[in-house]
Amino acid sequence: MAAVQTTSERALNKVAIISVLIVTIIFLAPIYWIVSTSFKPRHLATTVPPTIVFEPEISPFVKLTLRRSQLREQPTPEEYTAAPWWERLVFDGGEKIVRSGRGEVQLSGYPSRFVNSLIIAITSTILAVAMGTITAYGFSRFKMPGEQDWLFFILSTRMLPPVVVAIPMFLMYRVVGLNDTHVGLIILYTAFNLSFSVWLMKGFIDEIPKEYEEAALVDGYTRMEAFFKVVLPEAATGIAATAVFCFITAWNEYAFALIMTRRDAQTAPPFIPSQVGSGLPDWTVIAAGTFLFLLPVAIFTFLLRNHLLRGMSFGAIRK
Amino acid sequence: MTTEIQLRNLQKWFGSNQVIKDFDLTIAAHEFIVMLGQSGCGKTTTLRAIAGLESIDEGDILIEGEPVQHLKCSDRDIAMVFQSFSLYPHMTVYENIAFPLRATRMAKTELDAAVREIARVLQISDLLDKKPSALSGGDMQRVAIGRALVRQPKAMLMDEPIGALDAKLREQMRAEIKRLHIKQGSTTVYVTHDQVEAMSLADRIVIMHDGKLQQVGPPEEVYLHPANLFVAQFVGSPVMNIADIDIGSAGGGAEIRLAGSDKGFAFGEGALSGISRDAPVALGIRPEAVLLSQSNAKGHLPAVTTNIEPLGSHDIVDVKIGDQTLRARTESGFVGGEGQEVWVNLDPEQAHFFDRESGLSLRKAG
Repeated sequence: MAAVQTTSERALNKVAIISVLIVTIIFLAPIYWIVSTSFKPRHLATTVPPTIVFEPEISPFVKLTLRRSQLREQPTPEEYTAAPWWERLVFDGGEKIVRSGRGEVQLSGYPSRFVNSLIIAITSTILAVAMGTITAYGFSRFKMPGEQDWLFFILSTRMLPPVVVAIPMFLMYRVVGLNDTHVGLIILYTAFNLSFSVWLMKGFIDEIPKEYEEAALVDGYTRMEAFFKVVLPEAATGIAATAVFCFITAWNEYAFALIMTRRDAQTAPPFIPSQVGSGLPDWTVIAAGTFLFLLPVAIFTFLLRNHLLRGMSFGAIRK
Repeated sequence: MTTEIQLRNLQKWFGSNQVIKDFDLTIAAHEFIVMLGQSGCGKTTTLRAIAGLESIDEGDILIEGEPVQHLKCSDRDIAMVFQSFSLYPHMTVYENIAFPLRATRMAKTELDAAVREIARVLQISDLLDKKPSALSGGDMQRVAIGRALVRQPKAMLMDEPIGALDAKLREQMRAEIKRLHIKQGSTTVYVTHDQVEAMSLADRIVIMHDGKLQQVGPPEEVYLHPANLFVAQFVGSPVMNIADIDIGSAGGGAEIRLAGSDKGFAFGEGALSGISRDAPVALGIRPEAVLLSQSNAKGHLPAVTTNIEPLGSHDIVDVKIGDQTLRARTESGFVGGEGQEVWVNLDPEQAHFFDRESGLSLRKAG
């Protein structure tokens, strides 16, 4: 690029940078709001105008994870000093921690929902990506009658809005006893993500020259070995990208989770808003739940960022 | 590696399009065979059929006398070098070369020794830790050849291995492949559309057109005695002149008249023995057998130069006789410019005659 910039170009550059900054701030504002609210004391959560500067505390997270109830009477000073620091935080908020008969602290509904979300999202992602990759490989490398029709059929499963099938699915699941089970949601999310996974992976595998496998075949490997030793490593970028998308879809899914699950297999998305309706909502706790819910996707995407950004590693093949 | 490969009556269709027709060839042990032809002539398909990457519809492929057409390519013990090199990008050079050996579950120390030995032979020892993307085109091809040779396969197949390189490197790699073949002596089948590569490398050239074998023979035989019009025009650069002729008689010999010209070149009777004078005949004559002269000598015909290509070591001069144009090879600077009058003669010794309809050579080889 030419090193010389005219004044108008420089001005244009500045305008562009400022515009990007403004847009970024607008996009990040809700996230900042959620994150900051999850560290606020309860009385600062709903102030108008919003409190920007405050002393952060972690009581919302303690309240989020532990089962608690309203205090009928103030704890005695002995009780207060004997309590561990996290219990005192709950006392300060006018609540107490619910203990079992043997005095054990009980968890709130949130941790189990969070774990459910993890189990269901991770398992369905692995299944959808694995099956999608193998299917895409088949479509990409072998001729089969009606190939285009099959691909369209696979994609068409994605065209129906999920809400439309939710009720029939609910009735079918009730018959086979899959309502409110992990397996039920895993099957649903895998099926939902599979078409997407097949199409995305087909694009990536089409890009991998088939000479790689042919080289492996003449080098003495079976097609299966060639697939695992040559195609899979080359498709890593595509697999990472597909996995991120499938994980996000499964992690965020709301409609099916709301209808198909109640307790045992309920995921975080239907659980968090359900807390808004119960009594006077403690927005700091809801914000804390939302903030924790944001983390896995952020971490997952961050871990795979190199794969997502690297692009296909060509250069070893001449076209 | 004393492997003989036999191809017997191969037939292969892609849909309704027959890409290999009645293909018969026996490749002797240690032989370097080059399959030459235009793209789409079936040469690569034939090569891939030997490797087992393509199935064949009919016929037999025998390696060391054993039919292998039903074997998977991993069971044929044949190595292949691809035009695209096909080095595995996620592996280092070392791992790329070791990859075929790992399939045989070879012991670690033995494997290491084999990889280092082949790297030494190919002079790529200092590249072993690099990834293919960091290599130049020539080095990539050396690695690809190393990967093919390391297993000491029964035969080597090469599909336009240097077609993707630039001209200078191509020449260098050509010499290297020849040196390697002399040293290793492996039975090699090499596919190319470049006749210079074919001429310089081959023990025997196999020329294919439209899925059919046209001619098989050592380079000089293919060049000096092309079996038909296709071979005549495909081998040699610049291309052999082909002209429609009438054959008359003059004096004790024959007179070759180019179509549209009223005078002819006098050929001795022996030059035309066994050639039918009735069927339409085409004359084939290489540019070096079109002899130009500045003065009217005996047997020469007048002509006008229409184009000159100065190539440094020699010039290619187009001359017009009647309404036919012949290309002649002259020493450089022999003709001053276009539109000049020169005198032309043909060397009867190097003249070829073809049946215009069948395209077959009318002269017996040898």
